[in-house]
Amino acid sequence: MIRIPLRPLARILKARDMGENPDAIENENIRRRHVEMEDRARTRAEGRILVLGAFFICAFTLVGGRMGMLATSMAAEPLASATGTTIVSQRVDIVDRKGRILATNFDTHSLYAQPPLMVDPVAAAKGLVAVFPDLDEARLIKDFTGKRKFVWVKKRISPEQKQMVHDIGDPGLLFGPREMRLYPNGRLAAHIMGGASFGKEGVHAAEVIGVAGVEKQFDGYLRDPANGDKPLQLSLDLTVQAATERVLFGGMKLMNAKGATAVVMNVHTGEVLASVSLPDFDPNDRPRAPTEGDPSDSPLFNRAVQGVYELGSVFKIFTAAQALDLGLVNPETIINIRGPLRWGKFSIKDYKYYGPELSVTEIIVKSSNIGTARLALQIGTKRQKAFMNDMGMLDPTPFEIVEAAGGKPLLPKNWSELSTMTISYGHGLSTSPMHLAAGYSAIANGGHYVSPTILKQNGPQYGPRLMSAQAAAQARVMLRKVVTEGTASFGEVPGYHVGGKTGSADKPKPRGGYYDNKVISTFAAIFPAHDPKYVVVVTLDEASVFTYGEERRTAGWTAVPVAAEMITRIAPLLGLRPSGAPQGSSGIVLTSQ
Amino acid sequence: MSYLEYSVKSAPSGLRKILYLNWPLTILVVTVAGVGFLMLYSVAGGSFTPWAEPQIKRFGAGFLVMLGVAMVPIWFWRNISVVAYGVSILLLLAVAFFGDVGMGAKRWIDLGFIRLQPSELTKITMVMLLAAYYDWLPAKRISKPLWVALPVLLILLPTFMVLRQPDLGTSILLLFAGGGLMFLAGVHWAYFAAVIVSGVGLVVAVFESRGTTWQLLKGYQYKRIDTFLDPGSDPLGAGYHITQSKIALGSGGWTGRGFMQGTQSRLNFLPEKHTDFIFTTLAEEFGFVGGISLLGLYSLIIIFCVATAIATRDRFSSLVTSGIAITFFLFFAVNMSMVMGLVPVVGVPLPLVSYGGSVMLVLMAAFGLVHSAHIHRPR
Repeated sequence: MIRIPLRPLARILKARDMGENPDAIENENIRRRHVEMEDRARTRAEGRILVLGAFFICAFTLVGGRMGMLATSMAAEPLASATGTTIVSQRVDIVDRKGRILATNFDTHSLYAQPPLMVDPVAAAKGLVAVFPDLDEARLIKDFTGKRKFVWVKKRISPEQKQMVHDIGDPGLLFGPREMRLYPNGRLAAHIMGGASFGKEGVHAAEVIGVAGVEKQFDGYLRDPANGDKPLQLSLDLTVQAATERVLFGGMKLMNAKGATAVVMNVHTGEVLASVSLPDFDPNDRPRAPTEGDPSDSPLFNRAVQGVYELGSVFKIFTAAQALDLGLVNPETIINIRGPLRWGKFSIKDYKYYGPELSVTEIIVKSSNIGTARLALQIGTKRQKAFMNDMGMLDPTPFEIVEAAGGKPLLPKNWSELSTMTISYGHGLSTSPMHLAAGYSAIANGGHYVSPTILKQNGPQYGPRLMSAQAAAQARVMLRKVVTEGTASFGEVPGYHVGGKTGSADKPKPRGGYYDNKVISTFAAIFPAHDPKYVVVVTLDEASVFTYGEERRTAGWTAVPVAAEMITRIAPLLGLRPSGAPQGSSGIVLTSQ
Repeated sequence: MSYLEYSVKSAPSGLRKILYLNWPLTILVVTVAGVGFLMLYSVAGGSFTPWAEPQIKRFGAGFLVMLGVAMVPIWFWRNISVVAYGVSILLLLAVAFFGDVGMGAKRWIDLGFIRLQPSELTKITMVMLLAAYYDWLPAKRISKPLWVALPVLLILLPTFMVLRQPDLGTSILLLFAGGGLMFLAGVHWAYFAAVIVSGVGLVVAVFESRGTTWQLLKGYQYKRIDTFLDPGSDPLGAGYHITQSKIALGSGGWTGRGFMQGTQSRLNFLPEKHTDFIFTTLAEEFGFVGGISLLGLYSLIIIFCVATAIATRDRFSSLVTSGIAITFFLFFAVNMSMVMGLVPVVGVPLPLVSYGGSVMLVLMAAFGLVHSAHIHRPR
């Protein structure tokens, strides 16, 4: 850069000669240099603004062009780069303990329309109404001839329907693949499966989400693509479940019950091999939750885990077992059962008069309320409550279906001595049949708590010890005697040494008090009694049968024969060998121990 | 020439300043905000609640803020720009420690009467500080490494603080607005070339770091990038926004379905339909014509800002005005490109239209600065 000297000597000398002020020249030069610098800066700044402006115009063109492209595009969802491959088998299968399918996926199609592609929208609408009579023709014609570019017609269609729509021959009617959840066994184990429904839906895929049962409980696992070929294996045995369900359904009809439930559990592992609640539903087409009426009468209600009932005398064996375990009594100890047993203004009575005194074994065999209550008084409130708590009777079962958390036992507000006495024979504490099955498992397996589970286990899953092995063994003898000589005589299944305890509890009225003609009848059975492998709990709701000239509601006449038939059917399926020749007409009464 | 060197006697004073506002700019801003009210009214299904009414109130407040800022001479703003920048950095720090968490990020600070988003405030205070810096810096030092490093630090400090919140959209805006301002101020070309080259390197590093312990972005941010590169890979997950907004744009066609007739957006197919994705409603209801008109209005706002920048001979005014123009441009360009699937979804609102208080107030204050520069320009 050539600098202009601020005071060029020649000009100054000249100015002096002419009498001008040399400073003016200097000022002028300063100003000129300023303007020059400023001009350079401005040119540069303007150049930069131009560059940014060009960039801005590019961006404007890009955004505007893109907008135009999208405006002219078809309103379809963008095609996934590999259509179809990404949506197959998104939800993991569910299988039973032997790997047989309980729930799987099935490819169907969805139907949608793109009116701009249609040749004859009105004819297409008419054709669709012919295939699907539930569609509204006027509405379809309006949708197809209007401005809409995309219309959902049907979310799920069968292959036959797809062919029929195909035959309409309009290019604007299009199909998308859609996976749906299929329960090939229909109603079998409906309450365990629960059901599935669609979440977010798109043309090329729809999300399948679990809405109840294990489908909801294990939704995260089932949806995780990482588990693709690792099906969810349940503890259920398909054949045992099927037999249990059939027998229970027949029994419910025969005994005129309005509902029924059965649980078959492995006493060592806590695995539930079958769980039935009737009435049931088809998980392929799960009904909507009822908006009125008693929800516990709905087919969706799972009586096995959600239904908490006062189960009655089936609880007596827990009282006896605890008394034995604490060393308060032995099976032969004689207890005074003279009644009625008065406590304040309440009195405890027996079903009928059994004499002045009975041994502990006889109290269980004959099912004496007074005798059990006297045992409970010896045990005391605190120890009884602790024992019930250890058996899991005071909390919802940890059973792995979402509904189980809703099966919270109903406890007395104030666990008084009177409560202690009534709970000893199964009143005042409401639990689910699943709770009961877990409790009987403890007696059957030698005194260990087991937690009921729907997942297949490997080997015994013993929890904390609840009672001594000796007390458990003595309790098992009593249970066996209930069948051989007590209230459950119809429970004998030749060759399988069934032991068990009946319970017939009056149903509570919704507003307090009890019905005198409605009972919940329950039979909790263990078999074979000398070395129990399984527990079966059968509960019938409002069963009533007319035999030998009178109406009978007690469990011995209702739940017990149903359970016996069930054991006859499922014991061979469970791989148990009958001991001795199958009975029948031989007339030999099997007794053991 | 700095403000000290010219006479300000020719600038209007008192309430007469209102007459000298940049009126075309004011009218444009009101028009765009009006479009926003219409769209918010429409997405709520033809109702002023829950969005349109609060938005109108905020715009009213913002308009007063704009007038207030415009009345104050521009040299006052130049003098407090260091303080303003410092305050916004302190507020960002406060957010990091006491901020409210909303929608998975810690961005808000509760001042009692308003839930402020300091990251929005930073967008304008940073522009002010940089403009003041280049106004103060003698021209021959502009491209000296030391004097380049200083503004770079001034830009990176808030950028990283915002990135930690995390708010990728705002930090990108800060970075680009700051860079653009440095470019306008006349920093040598070579620096920008170097930054672009190393930027490419950084992108590579970001992808290389994925899955390692020093992963640079959050998992969801990677997922957004993946989805951007291939929206079909996850049409129901992270690609859902883009897919649905493309459907909305497509179903609008050339002229749209008509006001309040949009289905994609009004029927709740789109989350965030009243904030970042409000452009889809506009495009669906008014089609290409509506979308391109809005784009035209935005461009006019930019052009008037740049015109002010050129008209004013004071370096601070000129730089702050063009800095605001750059920020505003980045706002709508990034938002529209994001909605149309041209760039990944980063969470930048559509300026003056999207529902949101902090952005509205800050933008109006920024326009106030433009007005102030316009009113107090040398004549």
